[in-house]
Amino acid sequence: MSKVTLTIDGLDVEAEKETTILRAALDNDIYIPHLCYHPELSPSGICRLCMVNADGEVVMSCQTPVDQGMVVKTKDPEIDRLRRTSIEILVANHHASCRGCPGSGPCALQKIMAYIRIDRKRVRRLRLPEEDLPKDQSNPYFDYDPNHCVLCNICVQTCEKIQGALHVIGRGIRTQIAFYGNNADCQSCMECVARCPVGALTAKESRSTHG
Amino acid sequence: MSDEFGEAALKNILVFYEGKRSELIPILQEAQGINGWLPREVMQLIADFLHINEGEVHSVASFYNQFRLMPLGRKMVTVCRGTACHIRGAPQILVDIGQSLRLKEGETSPDLEYTLESVACIGCCALAPVVKVNHKIHGEMTRERAVTLFPKLSE
Ligand code: SF4
Ligand code: SF4
Ligand code: FES
Ligand code: FES
Repeated sequence: MSKVTLTIDGLDVEAEKETTILRAALDNDIYIPHLCYHPELSPSGICRLCMVNADGEVVMSCQTPVDQGMVVKTKDPEIDRLRRTSIEILVANHHASCRGCPGSGPCALQKIMAYIRIDRKRVRRLRLPEEDLPKDQSNPYFDYDPNHCVLCNICVQTCEKIQGALHVIGRGIRTQIAFYGNNADCQSCMECVARCPVGALTAKESRSTHG
Repeated sequence: MSDEFGEAALKNILVFYEGKRSELIPILQEAQGINGWLPREVMQLIADFLHINEGEVHSVASFYNQFRLMPLGRKMVTVCRGTACHIRGAPQILVDIGQSLRLKEGETSPDLEYTLESVACIGCCALAPVVKVNHKIHGEMTRERAVTLFPKLSE
């Protein structure tokens, strides 16, 4: 297998040729915010949070392969400006507080908010009227809370390979994840619950599945 | 079996298709013509025909504004909230009509009499603010006239 050398934030990093920038960075303990990336799934590029500057161009690090001699910057003013807007919109529509949230702790959104240092005032200007969307408790093994969901699509992509029981429904601010009559198809493998990066899918009886 | 959802009509539509996944949207468009909306039974039959699961059909149908997953009222009340109508008071008219029909935007009354909708510009801004009931346009709407529209229309 051939290796390439690139620099990420001034650090020389060695990586397999086909690896993505995000993978190479994470393998070397360099954090790049990401929500929709999961090591077992093909990168969907939905969340737009993993953007970096690679050789002068803004790219999604989860979808861009490394290259010999590539120079990557994970932080610069332009990246910060672009990424901040994406994350602010997400946070503004995250009608949930972390207190008591089952995802709190390993939650990817919490980590990103801390990393980017979200300015609550700026976010408030984007906030929609408070709305408590009903939970979907129709699945016998786990519950879905749309108020916590960041629509990363990881659960849908995960189940696609297993049963295809989960789907995205609706559009725009009304988008949700739904089972739509496919509960009988669910294999109760709990892979979707385990992979949800926030506290939107939780096992019934609030057994913790994060690990 | 009763044919409440137009299964026979759907079969007549499906004979013109090959059963390919890419045919989903045109099939949904034609199938909606049967009842004016897409009952779950119809979506299930389409899913079977295309060998995909029902959730996928629902996922696609729920994305597009043109597809309706709920029955429509006999009277479609459409309040324009395009720019011209907005400036001339559409938001308040929408609230008033909603109150007198006891419906929120997008809802249909349980007796299937009314569906309340809003739209961004009907295309006759000179008459703003505009309310459409089925195909009839009511222009230069006022709060007072808006609420009198319905008893008269439900004759
Ligand atoms: S538990 Fe498994 S089968 Fe059921 S929805 Fe989740 S991933 Fe699909
Ligand atoms: S339920 Fe979780 S995994 Fe699924 S889309 Fe929402 S945040 Fe992502
Ligand atoms: S992690 Fe790359 S776009 Fe979401
Ligand atoms: S804005 Fe209402 S008709 Fe154009």
